[in-house]
Amino acid sequence: MASVAPPARTPFARVSRDIIGALWESDLRFRLMMLLLLVVLGWAGFAWIYQIKYGMGTAGITHPVMWGVYITNFVFWVGIAHSGTLISAILYLLRSGWRTTINRTAEAMTIFAVMTAGLFPLIHLGRVWYFYFLAPYPNQRLLWPNFRSPLIWDFFAISTYFTISLLFWYSGLIPDLATIRDRLKGARGLGRLKERIYGYLSLGWHGSDSQWKNYRRAYLYMAAIATPLVLSVHSVVSWDFAMAVTPGWHSTIFAPYFVAGAIFSGIAMVITLSVPFRWALGLEDYITEYHYDNMGKLLLLTSLIVGYAYIAEYFMAWFSGDPVEWESFRWRALGDYSGPFVIMMTCNVVIPLLCFFRRIRRNIAAIFVISIFVNIGMWYERFVIIVTSLAHEYSPGAWGLYKPSWVELSITVGSFAWFLFWFMLFAKTLPAISITEVKESIAEGVWKPGDKKEEA
Amino acid sequence: MSEIKRRDFLKIIGLSGASTGLVGCAQEPAKKLIPYLVQPEEVIPGVANWYASGCRECPAGCGVYVKVREGRPIKVEGNPDHPVNAGRLCARGQASLQGLYNPDRITSPLRRNEAGEFEPIPWDEAESVLAGTLRTMRSEGRADRLYLITDGAAGTLDRFFDEWLGAAGSPNRVIHESFDAEPLREANRLTFGLAEIPRFDIEEADLVVSFGAGFLETWISPVQYAHGFSASQSFSDGRKGRFIHIAPRLSLTGSNADEWVAAGPTGAMLIALAMTRVLVAEGRAGARGAAIRPLVEPFTPERVAEAAQVEPARIERLAREFGDAPSSVALPPGFEGADRNATAAHVAVNLLNYAAGNIGRTVRFGPNVLRRRPASVPRLQEMVETMRGGGVQTLLVHGTDPVHTLPAGLGFAEALNRVDLVVSFASFIDETAAHADLILPDHTPLEGWGDHEPELGVRTLIQPTMNPIFETKATGDVLLSVAARLGGDVASLLNWPDYSSYLRDAWRAVQGEFAPGAGFEEFWRAALSRGGVWRQVGTQAVTLNRAVAGVNFDEPTLDGDAGTPYTLIAYPSPNLYDGRGANRPWLQELPDPVTKVVWNSWVEMHPVAADRLGVRTGDVVAVSSPHGQLEAPAFVYGGLRRDTVAIPIGQGHADYGRWARDRGVNPLALLPAAADEASGSIAWLSTQVSLAATGRRVNLVSTQGSHDDLGREIAEVVSLAAAVEAEAHARDGVESDPQALVDSAEDADPKSPYRWGMAIDLSSCIGCSACVAACYAENNIPVVGEQRCAQGREMAWLRVESYFEQLHEGDAHGNGHGAAQEDGEEVPAPHVVHLPTMCQHCGNAPCEPVCPVYATYHNPEGLNIQVYNRCVGTRYCSNNCPYKARRFEWFDYEVRFPLNLQLNPDVTVREKGVMEKCTFCVQRIMKARNDANAEGRDVDDGEVTPACAQTCPAEAIVFGNLRDPNSRVSRLARSGRAYHLLGELNTRPAVTYLREVSRGGEET
Repeated sequence: MASVAPPARTPFARVSRDIIGALWESDLRFRLMMLLLLVVLGWAGFAWIYQIKYGMGTAGITHPVMWGVYITNFVFWVGIAHSGTLISAILYLLRSGWRTTINRTAEAMTIFAVMTAGLFPLIHLGRVWYFYFLAPYPNQRLLWPNFRSPLIWDFFAISTYFTISLLFWYSGLIPDLATIRDRLKGARGLGRLKERIYGYLSLGWHGSDSQWKNYRRAYLYMAAIATPLVLSVHSVVSWDFAMAVTPGWHSTIFAPYFVAGAIFSGIAMVITLSVPFRWALGLEDYITEYHYDNMGKLLLLTSLIVGYAYIAEYFMAWFSGDPVEWESFRWRALGDYSGPFVIMMTCNVVIPLLCFFRRIRRNIAAIFVISIFVNIGMWYERFVIIVTSLAHEYSPGAWGLYKPSWVELSITVGSFAWFLFWFMLFAKTLPAISITEVKESIAEGVWKPGDKKEEA
Repeated sequence: MSEIKRRDFLKIIGLSGASTGLVGCAQEPAKKLIPYLVQPEEVIPGVANWYASGCRECPAGCGVYVKVREGRPIKVEGNPDHPVNAGRLCARGQASLQGLYNPDRITSPLRRNEAGEFEPIPWDEAESVLAGTLRTMRSEGRADRLYLITDGAAGTLDRFFDEWLGAAGSPNRVIHESFDAEPLREANRLTFGLAEIPRFDIEEADLVVSFGAGFLETWISPVQYAHGFSASQSFSDGRKGRFIHIAPRLSLTGSNADEWVAAGPTGAMLIALAMTRVLVAEGRAGARGAAIRPLVEPFTPERVAEAAQVEPARIERLAREFGDAPSSVALPPGFEGADRNATAAHVAVNLLNYAAGNIGRTVRFGPNVLRRRPASVPRLQEMVETMRGGGVQTLLVHGTDPVHTLPAGLGFAEALNRVDLVVSFASFIDETAAHADLILPDHTPLEGWGDHEPELGVRTLIQPTMNPIFETKATGDVLLSVAARLGGDVASLLNWPDYSSYLRDAWRAVQGEFAPGAGFEEFWRAALSRGGVWRQVGTQAVTLNRAVAGVNFDEPTLDGDAGTPYTLIAYPSPNLYDGRGANRPWLQELPDPVTKVVWNSWVEMHPVAADRLGVRTGDVVAVSSPHGQLEAPAFVYGGLRRDTVAIPIGQGHADYGRWARDRGVNPLALLPAAADEASGSIAWLSTQVSLAATGRRVNLVSTQGSHDDLGREIAEVVSLAAAVEAEAHARDGVESDPQALVDSAEDADPKSPYRWGMAIDLSSCIGCSACVAACYAENNIPVVGEQRCAQGREMAWLRVESYFEQLHEGDAHGNGHGAAQEDGEEVPAPHVVHLPTMCQHCGNAPCEPVCPVYATYHNPEGLNIQVYNRCVGTRYCSNNCPYKARRFEWFDYEVRFPLNLQLNPDVTVREKGVMEKCTFCVQRIMKARNDANAEGRDVDDGEVTPACAQTCPAEAIVFGNLRDPNSRVSRLARSGRAYHLLGELNTRPAVTYLREVSRGGEET
């Protein structure tokens, strides 16, 4: 709907035009992409129904590897969800101006990633039709969930994170929604309906000083509340493993290790998504090499932390003198799953080292490729941790191997379709870059569109 | 038509919506329980009736109690009074229920039609076909062209067959047993002038020397021997016997040995002779020596060493040890070692026992094992010739499957096509029945009347435990009915209305032997309720027979030329016996006790042989002998000589139902129709084979991840001295560790009088896996099949892990065994430790805190409870179980009719998506507690016995209350040998293991 786009007489007007102009135009590319996603999603849905009907045996998980690709996906998607809050909240508190063009996307990614991750605990349940047993709901049997179980901690950690992330994202959206509402004023037909919808969503925002004052304060508090969640959620997820006696899981390093890994994978996913995204929506002037340079630095930092954790794990396995632990780690690298291990090491530790070079960080194509490797590597990291530890536990007589089935792979692919489906919907209905914050940056002289600034 | 009001509308919508939702949730439509309209007098719903009967799964003849619920047998347990098995039962006995409830049973008489297919016919017609044929044969004067092949069980049916055949005018009774003890019988005739099979009192022997007999798995009476073996060979009161296994292969039996002498394939005879000679020469045989000196004089250890492949010094040492033992017994080579001169080998073992003074002490004639003498190989060959020449017009086959169980070299199957009328009485379409023209299905032993005489002075009575499921008919009844149809003298000679009255009449004679004087009705009823009658039979003194001087101790020949360096050991599968177990899904899924392979055959090869051939476990090898060829996956195993290969007998059925058909290979295809020359018994060890790698690979499914415990002290073994010391310390209270073990008694509600626990004595456990089969039967454990086992989805709550100690680290993964060895380098023989593993009911259970919904929790009696209804299937508990004792219902497993009739109504049939595991047979605990509560007392020690402990032939498993300091389990938990599996994890298990005690290494 190009008619909405105002003439770009001022930088501010240009920002509004560029960002709002990207909305609603559902061209053929977009429709084909959505169709493809829905087909994949439909297939994955069929696979899930098939699994519910015939039993978990249709998945490849088995004795002793009772968790496989589903939990890998769960941890992977929860990890993806991390960068959103990190970029929005922590960088906001740290006053890192460069976040303004990517924070909206990152937050949206967080929401959709949590929505994807949240499906997997359900998908992996043996009797999903009793999923509500996991929730503390009043019942005549006076049964509560087991608050000692890390899975229940998970339930609370993830739902809290989801709620806060959603609210944070939404509050950031309010002024922008009002801007769109105002742009739509006087439209007829479908436009009128849209105006109503955006009007409701903007909660009567009219940009008064008192509103701005309260809004600023609220946003700051929200950022402050969201910040500890970045650390807590993935710590809790890591405790799903660390609380178990399973060799390869039972380790105190897991919480920081998982948080670093989560931010690592989250940043990588932001890069992976934003590159095609800025191209498709024509936002090259807003998300620039400068941003990729900064994200590349974050990627490098977290990669180094993750690499350190890998080494620390091996060191502790050796240093503890526990033969079971050591055998588990030895086998992880040299046993039947050495392939995934090599992928994990290469993608997460070796390849990101390229980010030491500024030229590579500022080369969008290169950093895009690196980010894809990191995504693959981080998926395999979770796979390696979960599967190799379970396959090779205390009792050698009960060792076994695991191979994912077509059901698991279909649902895994489906989870990407599910995530992208929401993300694309978002890109077409909500401003993908915070209009407000970009304008603020311009006003403060921090940054303006097309500015390929060297230093923040 | 009235209008629907708004409120009504809402009600209807609400109700139908809710009910649609509810229906959607239900997994299966509800089924109504229909009460008895007229309740049978003896049936109380919910209360089991127990009937005493006999097991007929192998010739051993154990006595059983059959648990019957609402008219359906659901469990078979050993009859504790029975002298053969003393209340114990093997896996095959446990699986007899799956013979009864097998969906592949023949449901009615069948006749082959013109198209060559079987079609059901009524009994009346079926009998008249047989009677008509016999009438024609009689009128043509060819009654002697009637042949009857049966199994070799002694008892009334055996005599009935003779009587019937006599009346029908034919002398041609042929007895066929796959595995017979004829070389032993013949050897006893030669040595002692007594053609009998004696009793071996293993329980009395401090030193057991076996020359290969699989006496703990298949030989003669395995449950009885296992029971005796554990009595003398398990550690108790600071003592433990010693067991030396002298054979080329470490069988399940051999795996329990303290010392393995890997003698050459045909070395048993020479070693026994040389040992005897040492005893005689050194004067250890006393006065007996003089009589046998000339016989054994030439067999010096030095002379036999080369052929027997054992150093002379070792033979001398073995002999001295044998002579010095306070009591000893030598057991013969058995089936696996039956070569062309098997009788001589048995004579040699007799001489050894004689020289050591064991005859009359641990080898006792008198209470002899009773078996009909099977037809010798020459006799079988003669019959096959007659069949080929058309001299057999009608052939009746009962209780045996000669097509499958005779060596292919005999040509029985081809000859069968020349018989006009082949009548099979089989319950299944086995290979012989598949060749039949008429099938008259017999009842299974659990449905019909019968008796069995396993040994002298023991008569087991077999009674029906349920109405026949299908239109089957007792063979005795069929033959009586045929006799009546033939009329004339046949009818008058066999003038009984049915076989059960014939049996009763026969038992009038039995009464004369056992309880003369009393009324027959009381005697009969008492025998029925007790499961038979038995009496002590005194030992019969025997003297050396002159005929023994003529025994020819020549080395047996083996088929195959020098280019084929591997001797084939075809041994009966501990699970499947001669193949009759192959259609029982429990037995197929029961891992082989040594290799842990399920649902398949394999070729056992030494690591060196495997290296030479370049194969690993799972690679298919082609095995060829001068008589045939087969292909099967290799299993690399350090427990056999490098110049041998071993293939289990039992698989390779061409027919015999869905579970047996086209599965594995039958090594009989490689064997000639060779016989032990003196006894005529089949020579199983008669051929050499060559091996070739095929380059193909299959997934040889084994339930064991690794046979190497990596020194994790999972299956612990100590020396006798260490065990004695540890026990002494524990008694003095010096050792603090055992106290910690007893502390797990605290892991229950302080107010509860119970903390249930278990003790498993690894020095008793022989690894036979009867417990596993019993657990399947008791707890409705689904059978999942080979494919799912390959994925690791077998459902056994109880598994027996076998660890081959002394394996090298570095090759611990997958199914690898033993590091690659240079040819000629000594490969250490594995010491096999069997470790029954199940839920340990930990006091500090890792599974419990991680369950988000409390589906698994600790009950006040210390049990780790799994609530199926609450389980949502996160499977976290299994991930956190260090013992990997938990199983998950991956699917809804189908239990096909009529197998579903066997399901134990006291145990939930689990639905897909829930976790399950060993419950310590909580249904039995509940019953005992309810009984005790009703009587206002606590449960007594020994009142609760889980299925595994109940059936264990070695009495290795003891269950009871750890809170009671005097209970057996408490006392065992305080033993100095006690340890907890992975105790360092502080799981505080309720299962205490007692270290295996090995007297290996004492020889040095």
